[in-house]
Amino acid sequence: MASRFHKLRARHQEREPLTAHGRINLVPLVDILTSIVFFSLLTYTGAVMTNLTAFDLALPPVVVTAPGTTSGAQPDTTTLILAVGIKQGLIRVEHSNGGQAPFAQNIAGHGPASLDTLQTVLNNIKQQFPDADAAMVVPDDDVAYDDIVHVLERVKLARFPKISLTSAARSMQVATNNPGGR
Amino acid sequence: MFQKFGLVQLNLIPLVDTFVAIVFFSLTAATVGDLAPILNGVTLPQAKVGAPAHQELTLGVSSRPAAIVFNGHQVMSATAAAQATSNVPDQPLVVPQLYTALKTAADSIRNVNGVSQNESVTTPLAIQGDKTMRYDLLQRLLQTARLAGFRTITLQVQRATEQGEAATVTM
Repeated sequence: MASRFHKLRARHQEREPLTAHGRINLVPLVDILTSIVFFSLLTYTGAVMTNLTAFDLALPPVVVTAPGTTSGAQPDTTTLILAVGIKQGLIRVEHSNGGQAPFAQNIAGHGPASLDTLQTVLNNIKQQFPDADAAMVVPDDDVAYDDIVHVLERVKLARFPKISLTSAARSMQVATNNPGGR
Repeated sequence: MFQKFGLVQLNLIPLVDTFVAIVFFSLTAATVGDLAPILNGVTLPQAKVGAPAHQELTLGVSSRPAAIVFNGHQVMSATAAAQATSNVPDQPLVVPQLYTALKTAADSIRNVNGVSQNESVTTPLAIQGDKTMRYDLLQRLLQTARLAGFRTITLQVQRATEQGEAATVTM
């Protein structure tokens, strides 16, 4: 009859292949983790991607529906015509002022201070006309895209979600912010 | 014990390791796989507002080198696009070479969706423009995209952090 010691020893020997030297074999895990780290570093774009944001525009369609099918279009409920012009070294805010004398204000520069002033002006307009939600941004041809994006950002922050990007030089609408968009 | 009863020993450790890798890459792909990458040579403007940008058909205007890139392929140089003469009557802003590339893509989408060749497609077109790009070039891109059949455009920019600077450098 086997002693208790021999039984324990036999069990230990049975377990040995699974836990050689009393340890779990971590080498395959390390191999896999090394592969993960290698390919992660190789294809690393995650942090860059998560930093992207988007301004949605809806362009006027090229093919216009037949006149008979436009009867369901929403009536024009514009309460205020607000335009933000971007020129070299200058931002100009104009609006129709609800039938009174038109409002116009020039803001010098495109820097952070000028943009803060622009947002303050737009916030005041929003307080004066809370129903107004549309604004036209009218950049000059030679204005940098960076300055346009900063102005679009401030207009959005001032709670004018319907932004039209227009052209003063050619007097034609180019793009309209998606009113029902994200 | 396995040998004693004539059984085959099954080592599950490699299987567990493989599943760790699968779970890791699945979670990574689900998190960032749908988000848009930044094109090479483009320094995007930064903004604090805007919706998360997703991977879409991308029209890029890079500065290093100055080129128009559509879906990873260079279409033409930015200078050529800015100086191109339109071949569409009453549409002076159209860039013919870019129009051809965009029209091909739009037609392909129409075929897949079963949409008439005369209708605009709803598939979004993302524009990643370099911060130094002038507005007149952006106008030409927008108008060309519109006439090619794209009516939903997103301007993708880099999200600025609270300090006003992006956490990472653009590629």
